[in-house]
Amino acid sequence: MDGMTQLQRQWREHTAYLRKEGYLDDQFEQLQKLQDENSPDFVAEVVSIFFDDSEKLLNNMARALEQKVVDFKQVDAHVHQFKGSSASIGAMRVKNLCIEFRNHCEAQSLEECVRCLRKLQYEYSVLKNQLEYLFRLEQQIRAAGV
Amino acid sequence: MGAAVDHVIPIGMSRGSVEGNDKSQGQRFSSKSKLTALVVDNGGVCCAIQTALLRSYGVGTEAVETGGAAVELISSGATFSLIIIEMLLPFMNGPETAKQIRAIGAQSKVLGITAFFDERDQQEFLAARADDFIEKPLSLEIVIPIIRELNN
Repeated sequence: MDGMTQLQRQWREHTAYLRKEGYLDDQFEQLQKLQDENSPDFVAEVVSIFFDDSEKLLNNMARALEQKVVDFKQVDAHVHQFKGSSASIGAMRVKNLCIEFRNHCEAQSLEECVRCLRKLQYEYSVLKNQLEYLFRLEQQIRAAGV
Repeated sequence: MGAAVDHVIPIGMSRGSVEGNDKSQGQRFSSKSKLTALVVDNGGVCCAIQTALLRSYGVGTEAVETGGAAVELISSGATFSLIIIEMLLPFMNGPETAKQIRAIGAQSKVLGITAFFDERDQQEFLAARADDFIEKPLSLEIVIPIIRELNN
């Protein structure tokens, strides 16, 4: 009993922390509402798709920026997709960096794009760690509840 | 058409976790006749979320990744109450897809959707006879009025 409430408190605190620090916004809460007994792993599954897609997009952006002649429109298309997916799961910091990134693509500024990509890679990896921790807590809560 | 019926109509089985579950049990505006939707988006995350959101309101929803696949589906006779089309699609973009869908006679409500709102893209979609154009994410605030509208 004791262990269970402590885990739940940790989960609540961590979720509140992620909201407060702007890692996640209201959209994430909407996703959580779509999860219930009929789809108990919905959020984790969608986030898993997000992780796979994000890593592909970040690689594609990096490669596009390494080309001798950079196709900024191509980079922008990747940023577009990343902004769409991050906005859809409520990954606010990542989404905001995509907005910044787009401006650099439009200005065709290679240096700024590369710098922004590094920030994006960093923010994404922090978010990934935060969410994986959240899902580990959920798994522990479920295991304790059985 | 009259107002949506107030009693709950059990709508169909849930199809697995990522695709969402039916929350229309207990919702005050269950569909009188079953609404259907098509999501056209080559991003897995957006597809999964938009599909789950619509299904949670009892809308029978399918997803395809290209405009071509959407046109093929509709040409083969599938009809949808609502079609949501992403702006940037591979091969044939959102507005072109909307144009072709209208050309083959689809009377659905067509909603253009995009990551970055842009007036030129909006004009392109509206010229292609889309009904509206919004920026992602597709949220409850957007979905609920649309479902109400389609029910009436």
